[in-house]
Amino acid sequence: MGVPHREADATVDLALIARWQGGDQRAASEIVERHAQALARFAASHGVRDAVDELVQDTFVRAFGSLESFRADSSLRTWLFTILKRLMLDRQRAERRGRNAVELEEDHAVQEFNALDGMVADEALLRVREAVARLSPLQREVFTLRVTEGLPYLEIARIVESTEGACRVHYHNAMRAIKEYLSDD
Amino acid sequence: MTDCPNGLIRDQLPEYVHGVLAADAAARIDAHLDGCEDCRAEVALLGKARAAMALFTPKMDVASIAAALPAPRVAAPRVAAPRVAAPRVAAPRVAARRAPRRFAVSGVWQYAAAAALVLAVGSSALWLSAPERSAQRVADSSSTATVPGTAAALPMNAAVVAQSENGMTFGGGLSDLSLNDLQSLLGQMDSVRTLPSSDPSSMTPVLTVNEGGKSL
Repeated sequence: MGVPHREADATVDLALIARWQGGDQRAASEIVERHAQALARFAASHGVRDAVDELVQDTFVRAFGSLESFRADSSLRTWLFTILKRLMLDRQRAERRGRNAVELEEDHAVQEFNALDGMVADEALLRVREAVARLSPLQREVFTLRVTEGLPYLEIARIVESTEGACRVHYHNAMRAIKEYLSDD
Repeated sequence: MTDCPNGLIRDQLPEYVHGVLAADAAARIDAHLDGCEDCRAEVALLGKARAAMALFTPKMDVASIAAALPAPRVAAPRVAAPRVAAPRVAAPRVAARRAPRRFAVSGVWQYAAAAALVLAVGSSALWLSAPERSAQRVADSSSTATVPGTAAALPMNAAVVAQSENGMTFGGGLSDLSLNDLQSLLGQMDSVRTLPSSDPSSMTPVLTVNEGGKSL
């Protein structure tokens, strides 16, 4: 069930953390390299576009600032996703307060993804991307973490602060919704 | 596109796509896919979804992110801890040194003032209680004075001699008393009820000596 693979990943991460805590800055670069793109995908799945790099950097800065509080009861990547999710929520709240902006809705996300349309993506990928963007925020989070990162439901539940069973339901509902959207073509 | 009824298999398809399944689990999926068109279509969809989300994700600049990271803090406290702890230890030491010094300086004056009052009270009491006594008799007892209201005998230096209004010789200058004598004198005043001044900076204690119901 992929557990050995994840255990190996966790072992590598813990070793890198120990090296960094011992003063090896290169270990920090390796940690960033291992997880930055996954964090960026998660942020992008929320419709974040311009500030993805800033969000990911803030996530790492915050994580490394409190790395001593990291307990290996979950993977480092899961912990990083949790931090990123909090940062995105903070950002959304700040935007709502500051600009009286509406919360990111499905249509908003679709428009953001459509901006790249035709330039870089083929039609099939674009349709899938649109289908994902139309999911509810929670469905999109669960689907992204499950499909793009291959995380188990238990870890996803920690990130989205839900239960393992609820995440399984969200995933299958998301998959059904995507299939329905694509079958409408 | 329909859903395969085998929920257990479908649940593992994302891990299968990521190639993180154990070999035996992956083999079971392979066997299932051979005969399940729905699951094959779902695997293809999962691959497209991964590709699509990756395509719309900007490439992260690892070097710039790593450059913004804070320095490790775990190693630093190990070195800095003694330096940080030092002032915490030093502070009480300073306070501990200062406190006795303040006490020692002010204590001399407290002792002196207290001794002066004791001598004044004692002479008055002796004069009131034994007016018929001769000055010589008081002078002879100058080495031992009795504080009215107490049974304590106060050892005095022989040089401490005073002359009361009725001729009673009682004491001398406080400067003639050594610090030990003053401390001893004050120690024996424990039996005298004292009321501290409301002014903490004042060095003059207020004494109340009961003698036959009389407050002095």
